[in-house]
This record gives sequence, structure tokens and C-alpha cells, in this order.
Amino acid sequence: MKKMVTKILSGSLAATMVLGLAACGSKEAPATTEAPKQETTKAAETAKETVAEAAAANGGDVVLRMSWWGGDSRHNATLKMLDEYMAANPNIKVESEYGAWSGWQDKIATQIAGNSEPDLFQINWNWLWQFSPDGTRFADLKDLSYFDLSQYDQSLIDLMTIDGHVLGVPVSSTGRVFYWNKATFEKAGLEVPKSFADILAAGPVFKEKLGDDYYPLSCGTYDLTILLTYYMQEKYNKQWIVDGHLNYTVDELADGFDFLKSLEQNHVIPTQEKLTGDGADSLDKNPNFIDGHYAGVLEWDSSIKKLSDALEDGQELVIGEYPADYGTPATVYKVSMGFAVSPNSANKEEAAKLLQYMFNGDGVETLALERGVPASKAAQDKLSASGALQGLTYEANKAASANAPFALSPYYEDAALKDSAEGAYQEIINNMSYDGTDSKELAQALIDAVDEVENK
Amino acid sequence: MSNTKTKSAPNNFWKENKGFIFIFPWLVGFLVFKGYPFLSSLVYSFSDYSLFEGISKWGIFNYLDVFTNSKIQTGFGITFKYAFMTVPLKLVFALFVAYILNFKIKGVKMFRTVYYIPSILGSSVAIAVLWKAIFKDDGIINMLLGFIGVEGPHWLSNKSAALFIICLLRVWQFGSTMVIFLAALKGVSPDLYEAASLDGAGKWRQFFTITVPMITPVIFYNLVTQLVQAFQEFNGPYIITAGGPRGATTLVSLLIYNNAFKKYAMGLASAQAWVLFIILMIFTAILQYSQKHWVYYSDEEA
Repeated sequence: MKKMVTKILSGSLAATMVLGLAACGSKEAPATTEAPKQETTKAAETAKETVAEAAAANGGDVVLRMSWWGGDSRHNATLKMLDEYMAANPNIKVESEYGAWSGWQDKIATQIAGNSEPDLFQINWNWLWQFSPDGTRFADLKDLSYFDLSQYDQSLIDLMTIDGHVLGVPVSSTGRVFYWNKATFEKAGLEVPKSFADILAAGPVFKEKLGDDYYPLSCGTYDLTILLTYYMQEKYNKQWIVDGHLNYTVDELADGFDFLKSLEQNHVIPTQEKLTGDGADSLDKNPNFIDGHYAGVLEWDSSIKKLSDALEDGQELVIGEYPADYGTPATVYKVSMGFAVSPNSANKEEAAKLLQYMFNGDGVETLALERGVPASKAAQDKLSASGALQGLTYEANKAASANAPFALSPYYEDAALKDSAEGAYQEIINNMSYDGTDSKELAQALIDAVDEVENK
Repeated sequence: MSNTKTKSAPNNFWKENKGFIFIFPWLVGFLVFKGYPFLSSLVYSFSDYSLFEGISKWGIFNYLDVFTNSKIQTGFGITFKYAFMTVPLKLVFALFVAYILNFKIKGVKMFRTVYYIPSILGSSVAIAVLWKAIFKDDGIINMLLGFIGVEGPHWLSNKSAALFIICLLRVWQFGSTMVIFLAALKGVSPDLYEAASLDGAGKWRQFFTITVPMITPVIFYNLVTQLVQAFQEFNGPYIITAGGPRGATTLVSLLIYNNAFKKYAMGLASAQAWVLFIILMIFTAILQYSQKHWVYYSDEEA
């Protein structure tokens, strides 16, 4: 008898564990099948919002959910702006959801798929294509009366438009800029580089004078892809992607990979193995960057504050000139971030009103440059009147926008390419750095990967 | 068959199945949050369901993909390697520590608590940060190795070293396994040891011929639970190495997550989850079947 009990017990235990696994190990299950749960949540929300709207009509509260990602300084500025807005509009209550970037896209994707996204939320430009290829997963701002689209350049509005629907506010635009750590270059007895020739020459000097651990430039896999794009666009004077295809022959692209390899061979950039071994999620958390061992980066202009804040005392980051050895500089430039309104929101107009306040109205001064240099003309006027439109971020943005002759494909940052774990960019660059794979093979792999994403 | 009287049948039904009322809330939760997702993922696994593009075709192509795609095959290979490295290490280690903590040593209660702490911490983000700080190129481990003149490997960027440190995290969290072993060790009758030592058996002999056979049911239990857990491992590789370097720690669970939430290929992810589930079922079945050859239940002779 006891034996049977034990057997049943152990059997059922094993079964429970395994069943538990299926529910929990199959991570997709919650998402794919969350529909009923989320429908109820949504129903509850709609009910809540209907009540809220009814209450609003009687002078009661409207509750808006808003989400964004960012660092602490952006969180603080945004929360302060929201407090001011709520103080000025006592009938509005804004519930904020915010956090760091890592994992944010997964979270928003699940929310959008389950129709449970916030009323208004910060988006990445490429999400419009990724989540809403038919232009219906975000509310059309043209339909909302409170938001003033005329404050933005038509070219920017066009970038946010799919099938005639304006799906988000182009909050700001950003481009990749070279930044150099002046202190380290001085220590090596060098001027801050002005050309690729300078950069290539700096590698051996760093190695000789400062030691093996010093590099004039540090680039992760995605940074190297961008550097490749820069090099190719400059040298061949052709836009990276045209009509859904990489606009270069295998031989041309192989030349680009040879260039990247020469950087590694000349001790200009650390290998990917070394960077991974540093154990830092991003450059601003990498001790080797913080103490000046890595003396240069190719980063978004909007990141300079984060990067220069991270540096130790005595280190100073300066904006570099765009190297023009091979032609006209052609950096990567894009809409850095947008803000969208949920088509499922019961308070779309209220959400638009808040957007107007944030990006064209009084909120601008509190937010300042926390989301990059604002693209809105009203915001720029306000900021330059108060003298806030200056400093490294502003200078870098000006330089980037002046050196970006080519438009960027909205699929350039598609997760299938860019993702740090699964993306093609990191796989190809790692093959180059770890295995020294043949450049033509790398070129073909990149062409295929881009083709697949652009034409899926 | 005693209650054939139609009138009293409902009454009797509730009388006899009172327990049902007690488990009812659990049952509802189970059906809604586990049963339904479980079955719908089976349905989706036969479709090309994408989160944002919906379903356009049905078939077994996802399963064909699982068995032909080299990336997925590698993922399964790594998962096997991980499980077969982690589980034995952890069991041996937990049993070893439990055995020591079973002695009457001064302050043994404190040690039991201390050794349990890593299990409480779980694989939180803080632990991941700690793990990275310990194993990075100029981290503590390599610094210590440097003192004795050994140049440590690039733990985070070397393929096999990275998998090893993920294993180590789980082995380090041996607390709950240890507690179960400890309870089992306490259950072994002291008479047996007494008799054995009278016959002149040393500690090792006693351990292998008395202790281990007597606690085989618990070893069996720990083996099954740990194996199932190891195959599902997600947090460690997700947080510490993000599946890298170069996919060396991309376990199947991580691959499922990536397919589902980065590529939005829910159909493929479901199929992978089901293949993993079936593999686990097979392993559990084999273990269940093998019990009668090595697991000793003391009531068998009775």
C-alpha cells in the first residue's frame, strides 16, 4: 500500500512539474492565448474609461495611461512635466509606466498584440512598420483635433506616415556622431582625429605609447554595422538600401568589411571577444570607456549626455569631425523617437491634448532636451528663447543633420537585424571578429539578411 | 450504485464530492491560465501564427523546421549539454553538503541557513550583475587566478566557459535540493549505521551501502524535478549572457522566447515548446520506468 502511495505521489509530482513546464516553459503561451484575459482587462478598462468619460462630462476625472522608456533624468523630467500638467488640469489623471530600454520592445509588442497598450506611448520609429504595416495599429493624428502637426517639417511627417495615416509625433531626430575622449588622445600625444587616416594611424600609437588595453575607438556589433553603412555611403555615394535591397554589389560590400577588419587589425577597435569579456551591457557602463581606455565612440547625438556623464573626472568628450577621406560624409540619421496614441483609447482627444502640451506647449521647457533636440518648431522657439537650445547635444545634432544626405530605411533597425541576441548584424559582425570569415561571404550574408527583412 | 433513488441523487452527489468544492477555485485558475494556453499553443503550433500578421496557413511545417533548422538543433544540443552538466553536479554537491550538515557539528543550524540563502535569492537581476562582475575579464575570479600566476579564461566571451558559468549559477543554488536530502538523511535509521560500524564498516562504506540505497526515493525525486527544471532554464542565460557569446548559451527556452517576442513567430515558438515538452515527457517516463531497478522503497519486502 505504502509503495503504491509513494508511486502515485512521485508520478503525480513528475506530471505536475512537466505540466507546469509546458505552461511556463512555453513562454509564448501567455502571449498567444492572453486574448481572453486581455479582452476582459480591456472590457474592464473600457468600462472604466466610459465611466471616466461620463465623470469627465460632470467635471470628474479622466485617467490616461502613458508609457515611455529612458534613463533617470528623462524619467524625472517627464514625471515633473506630468505633475505640472495635472496641476493645471485637475480633471486629468495620468498613470505613468516607465523603465529602461532593455526588454521594453518585447513588452510593448505584447501589449499592442493584446490591444492593451497605454493611451499614449513613446515609440521607436521602425515600430510603425513592424507593428502596423497597414497603418491601423496606431491612431491617425490627423483625426485628432488637438495636436498641431503644422509645427513639424513635412519631410518628418512623411516619415511617420503609412497609407496616408500619420501614426505618431516625430519627437526628435538623431544621427550618429563621432565623439573622442580628448584627455586620452592628449596622453597619446595625438590630436583628436579628423579623418579615417588619422583614426587608422592612432591605433598603433595607442598600442605603443599607452599600452595594449588602449583603443582609439570602441564599437559594438551594431555600431560597426553603422560604421559600415557610413563608409559605404561615403565611398560609393549610394544610399544603403534602395527598393528593398542593399544597394551594393558583393565586391563593394566586401571592401567595406575589409575596412572594418583593418580597424581591428590596426588596433583601432577592440575585438568583439574583448568587448563581451568586459561584461558591460552598454558603453556608458563599461569601465574601460569610463576611465578613458576606449577613447572614441560612434554614437547617437542624443546619447552624448549619458556618455559624458559616465566619464571619470579629468576625461572630456568632444564632438569629432566627420571623416571625409573617401567622399562626402554620409552618417546614419533617423527619427529617433515618436509618440503614438492608441487606437483603442477611449480618450484619444485627451491624449492628443497632452501630446500637444508635451511637444508644442508649455511642457517643452520642463522636458528640454531629454528626448533629443525637439523637431517641433514651437518647441525650438521656446527653448532658444530660454537659452536651453545649446550644448553638446544640440551641436552634435546640428552636425549630424548637416551630414546625412541619405534617408534611412525603416527596416534598418528591424529586430531581425538589430536584436542583440538574435539579429543578423551581430551574427555577421561576430563571424567577422571571432572567425575572420571571408569578406565576400560576410557581404553575401548581409545582403541576404537585409533582403529577407525588407521583403517579408 | 446504491443511490438509485432519483430524488436523493443530487444530495448524495455533493456529499460524496465535497472535495470538489474545495479545489474548484484552483481548477478554474488552472483551466483558464494553464489548460487553455496549453491547448491553444498546441493548436498554434500547427499554424504560422505571427503576432502582428495573424495566421495564413496550417500544417506541420513548424515541426519540420524544428527538426531541420540548424539553429534550433544547436539550441536543443546546448540544452541537453546544460541539463546533463547541471543536474548531476547539483545533486552530488547538494548531497555532499547535506551529508556534512547532517553531522552533529557546532553551529550546524547556522550553516544550514547560510547554505540555503543562494536558493532564496533565485536568479534575480542582482545575481546576474554579481555573476557578471565575478566572471568578467578583470573580475574577481580572474584577479584571484592572476595572483597564483594563472591567466583566467574570458568567461563571458568564451563559448564553453559561458555555458559553464550559467551551470555554476544553478549548482550554487543547491539549497532546496539540499534540504530535501537532509530530511531524507535524517530518516535513515541510526540502527543501520550502528550495526554496520560494529561490523567494521568505515564512513565511505556506510555512505555507499547504507545511506545512498536508503535515500534512493529522494534521489529519484530530486533527479526528476531538477531535470525538468534544468530543461526549462531561462533566467540565467537571458539575464547574464543574453544567449551569447555567439549563441553558446541560447537554450531552447531562450530560443522560444526570441521566436515569440522578438520575431513574433508564435507558431514556431509553440512547436518548439511542444517538442521540448515531449522530450521532457520521454525523460520522465524513462526515469519512472527505471525506478524499479534502482529505487528502494522500504515497504517492498514487507
